[in-house]
Amino acid sequence: MLRFTVRRIASLIVVLFALLVLVFLISRYGGDPVRGYLGANASADAVAAMRTRLGLDQPIWVQFADYLSRLARLDLGTSLATRRPVAAELAQRIPATAELALWTVFFSVLIGILLARVYTLKSRFSGVLRLILFSAASAPAFLIATGGVLIFFVQLHWLPVSGRTGYGPSTGLSGMYVLDGLLTGNLPYAMDALRHLILPALAASLGPGVALARVLADGLSTSLRSAYARTARSLGETESAVLRRHGLRNAASPALSLLGVQVGMMLSSLVVVEQIFSWNGLGQFLVRAIGGADTATVATISLLLGAFYVVVNALVDIALAVVDPRVRLS
Amino acid sequence: MPSWLRRGETLAVVMLSVVLVAALIGPLLSPYSSIIPSGAPHLPPLSAGHLFGTDELGLDIATRILEGTRTSLLTALVVTVIAAVAGMLIGTLAGFVGGVLDTVLMRVTDLFLALPATIVAMAVAAGLGTGLTSSMIAITVVWWPLYARLVRGEVRRTARALHVEAARMSGTRGTRLVLRHVLPSVLPTVAVTASLDIGGVIVTVAALSFVGLGAPAPAPELGLMASAGLQYVVNSWWIPVLPGLAVGLLSLLFNYAGDGLRAVLRGKGA
Repeated sequence: MLRFTVRRIASLIVVLFALLVLVFLISRYGGDPVRGYLGANASADAVAAMRTRLGLDQPIWVQFADYLSRLARLDLGTSLATRRPVAAELAQRIPATAELALWTVFFSVLIGILLARVYTLKSRFSGVLRLILFSAASAPAFLIATGGVLIFFVQLHWLPVSGRTGYGPSTGLSGMYVLDGLLTGNLPYAMDALRHLILPALAASLGPGVALARVLADGLSTSLRSAYARTARSLGETESAVLRRHGLRNAASPALSLLGVQVGMMLSSLVVVEQIFSWNGLGQFLVRAIGGADTATVATISLLLGAFYVVVNALVDIALAVVDPRVRLS
Repeated sequence: MPSWLRRGETLAVVMLSVVLVAALIGPLLSPYSSIIPSGAPHLPPLSAGHLFGTDELGLDIATRILEGTRTSLLTALVVTVIAAVAGMLIGTLAGFVGGVLDTVLMRVTDLFLALPATIVAMAVAAGLGTGLTSSMIAITVVWWPLYARLVRGEVRRTARALHVEAARMSGTRGTRLVLRHVLPSVLPTVAVTASLDIGGVIVTVAALSFVGLGAPAPAPELGLMASAGLQYVVNSWWIPVLPGLAVGLLSLLFNYAGDGLRAVLRGKGA
């Protein structure tokens, strides 16, 4: 177990380093940072001075070392869109995206389990259900989000579709509004934040949820047909106990490893979804940076999202190895 | 597999052919330009002369969707083919040569596979500057590793097959052995994967265009149309929804057709 964990963490470090190099190259060679700061009409002298100031005349490996040391000091440059330090902008937005991401994962798992249960029920509707799910999984997140806005806001007036709360920014510690509302005992605040969360989180979780359901249903039907399930039944366990104790447990590990991979899809969906629901998070900031041709900031946000994904997957792998001894050997 | 699902896949192939033809001859089907207003703004679908209505500028949405579909299809095909060919090249090299080359190539491949594809594609596209070409390059950069992994495995498996062994016995070596005896049995798998991938590529291209990494407005790109039209969703839902539906339908058709292709090839024992 220890060997597996060490090896997994070593490969995590290699991947993180590769991500760093990639992001460095993008922010160094993508766009023109000097023109970005000074505008297109800057004089040649000003450009040259700026190049020296930004260290762009140094050898590439010196620049990379400089980049790493600035990253370590959280000196991420200035956002061209807001003219504020990128680090401050990120710090303000990370809780917003974290909150949305956590709920998205929660909804994905919920959708996955519920749909997998429906899948395994043999009914005449399962074919129709498959078609609907197939369609949902094929649809781009922005279509699902726009559809959600149309149905639950424009038609039914059930749910809000803009921002994170109808009150004001939370004064709580975590910056996650539902949690802050609960922690401060302000229930109406938490409920309002939850209502704002539902549509964006659902829009981003439908695709991953469906994918999860397919894997989970496959695993469930395999393990329910297995010899150990038959043994459990012959010992008098009820079908639902077999499902819970033997079926779900064995189907869980492929589903969990898929969930890790799906986090990547969720993150890219969140970028789009935050834009649609005016969710003041990393995704919206990313889109603003793209709009302002602020390549360095785009690269920094991608680094953050990418690192999150890579770390989550390493944790998932280690968790799997704890739960399932077979993983450790392969 | 119920029989109606098989029919569903046949239907998908037929519909896909119709869409392909429509996208190919697109401009001939419509009397309008995709960037010059041709009617009053905000006309709802099924208005006289405007099947899908018009957008906020009075541009004909049906014409723009046709044009956008064509762009989507072409982009997705080019990306998928380049990614598949590059992946095949790398995968074959790794699988057939083996040794240090195999280790190095597969380490690089795994590195790419470990990163979140769409996020990296967004960063790369932003680095290359907005536009369809940079989106295409960016998506290709994150898409080839899947094929490299797949092809390497297939090549290693096939290299041990009897017919390859026989060819080797009779003196066939190197490139000729790979081209004549190994790759032909790898190709169907790659073709199926590619056809299943096109839907995903279409959605990814649209997502990049949605966040502003495609061509600037008023270019007829489906993702861009969906994001630019979003502000009119309350009163003119068709402006953002119809282009989004077009993306969803394209991807659905390709996924279905790809599934059908997989079933057919598997049925033949390939």
